[in-house]
Amino acid sequence: MSISTSTAAGAPPSARARVGQVFEAAARGHRSIPVLVVLAIIWAVFYSQSSAYLSFQNITNLTLQIVTTAILALGVVFVLLVGEIDLSSAVLSGVCAAVAAGLVVNHGLPLAVGIAAGVVAGMVVTFIEAQIIMFGVPSLIVTLGGMVILQGLILVVLPPEFTISVAGTPFAKIASTAVPAGASYGLAAAGTLAYAGYRLFQRRERLSTGSLSSLAAVVVPSVLVAVVLFGGVFTLTRQRGLPMPLLILAVMLLVAWYATTQTRYGIHLYAVGGDREAAQRAGIPVRRMVLYSFLVLGACAAIAGMVDSSRQLGVSVTSGAGPLMLNAIAAAVVGGTSLFGGRGSIWSALLGALVIGSISNGVQLLGLSTEVQYFATGSVLIVAVAVDVVLSRGSLLPGRR
Amino acid sequence: MTALLELTKVSKHFGGVRALHEVDMSVHEGEVVALVGDNGAGKSTLVKIVSGVESPDGGEIRVRGEARRLESPRAAAEAGIRTVFQDLSLCDNLDAVQNLFLGQERYGPVWSGRRVRRHVMEEQAQRVLGSLSVKLRALNTPVVALSGGQRQGIAIGRALISDPAVVLLDEPTAALGVSQRREVLDLIHRLREQGRGVVVISHDMKDVRQVADRIVVLRLGAKVAEFQRGEYTPSDLVSAITGAHESTDDEGGDL
Repeated sequence: MSISTSTAAGAPPSARARVGQVFEAAARGHRSIPVLVVLAIIWAVFYSQSSAYLSFQNITNLTLQIVTTAILALGVVFVLLVGEIDLSSAVLSGVCAAVAAGLVVNHGLPLAVGIAAGVVAGMVVTFIEAQIIMFGVPSLIVTLGGMVILQGLILVVLPPEFTISVAGTPFAKIASTAVPAGASYGLAAAGTLAYAGYRLFQRRERLSTGSLSSLAAVVVPSVLVAVVLFGGVFTLTRQRGLPMPLLILAVMLLVAWYATTQTRYGIHLYAVGGDREAAQRAGIPVRRMVLYSFLVLGACAAIAGMVDSSRQLGVSVTSGAGPLMLNAIAAAVVGGTSLFGGRGSIWSALLGALVIGSISNGVQLLGLSTEVQYFATGSVLIVAVAVDVVLSRGSLLPGRR
Repeated sequence: MTALLELTKVSKHFGGVRALHEVDMSVHEGEVVALVGDNGAGKSTLVKIVSGVESPDGGEIRVRGEARRLESPRAAAEAGIRTVFQDLSLCDNLDAVQNLFLGQERYGPVWSGRRVRRHVMEEQAQRVLGSLSVKLRALNTPVVALSGGQRQGIAIGRALISDPAVVLLDEPTAALGVSQRREVLDLIHRLREQGRGVVVISHDMKDVRQVADRIVVLRLGAKVAEFQRGEYTPSDLVSAITGAHESTDDEGGDL
């Protein structure tokens, strides 16, 4: 039954089959392309309604609005990749922000200590959740219960007035710091050089074992990275330099990209999500990989919470409440990460958060009512997953594989 | 010549059920031994014991003449025994190279985050797949897109990455089409040419007769017959498996 898909292997490659192969490879290798198309459509629609939508100022606003969702979605991607799910991390981000802000603002500890404490708190909570999940309770239930417990915990962590104002404290500097334009261009240049250097190093490695490797495989991606980095810095430094939250997000994406695509850890992560039994038989510590994913989620949730509260200038009972959790999961899935594990990439967190953020930003800019935003976001989520299903099965007809 | 793998009087009980009773079996260099028997004859128990998934209650396992205790799949692998399971245990979302090296990746130092040395792995993958004459269009397509024969090739290739002395194949031709079955039988021939000992568990008498140098027949947990290539007729084989002519079969006296 599943063998029927492989008929091309023996047959002489006709032109049509070759086009099909190219399409197949593009769909598989660059799962982000459909998301980019959706994003372009959303931007075109809103831009046609208001030219202010794609102004430098609004794009900067948009990127700042999505940072929290994107960082949280990054953590969610790690958990989805091993085939688990999490519902508690948004509330957890509020708890971690409360811990960090409480230490820095109310107890006068240094900012670094507060941040470290927040991250440790996040990882401790997800460590406990992961232990219970490995004990055999489904992650949906553990994190659902965890979410409710954390809603109670945030009341305990917050001072009696249930709010911490961080305005004018070192804590507010996390979000308000901006890297000057000159230094930002320097960072972009360094990033481009480092990337090109890494690609060159990989090319030399491949040549050393006698496999073919064209110089285009170095130049083309490097130019793309340069365009994205310099274009991004040019757009985002129009106002007053590169905002710190964006730099934090960029560094986290970079580390996550390296870990998931270039290391042994990354292969094991995808293997556990793809087929747990096979991974186990191959000697991969499946339970430890699940634990690692939850620890990454805990750290991401803590950072998302601290960045968010620093931007909102305060922590309160509503920190991490509202649509943040569902937005983060939706972002990961819209970006192309499978809910069933093993498929997807780090970039889905950024792209999905951009899609969802672009809709809500546009709706607010045009002064449309909130229900339009909900309708649009929900529809995009469903359409994105439907497109993903069609691409992964390679046919519009239902039921084929 | 000492056998690569030698089992003597291996027994295994599950509660009160006798799964294996004093089974003897040996595999020599460059020899294909087929293990046949009806459902419940003890084939899969024997596979699990040799691959280190289960440990025997009694008896002895010798690898190259040396007594070994195969307590885990890892221990079996270290002793030089690799198993290709019936479901192949491939991760569909990973590509051929990642599957071949799954759990035994070649990686760099810790400071690099155990960076995978992909170029080394690709080169070795090409060599191993070439030695089995497995042809892939590209090494970086997920294995879900490959044919049954190619997947079997990758699963066998994975077993060969650590250069084992003995390879166990559990139902390698089940659920394959005609041409892919021939591909897999060719793979088994190539393993034999490489001087490895091969144990094939199969239901398919045609495949077994074609590929095996020696056939070990199990029935109800005991070895009831052993045939050398060319010294049996198909009906001998069938009656040994089913126990049809038990009273007249002098090798079936165990029951």
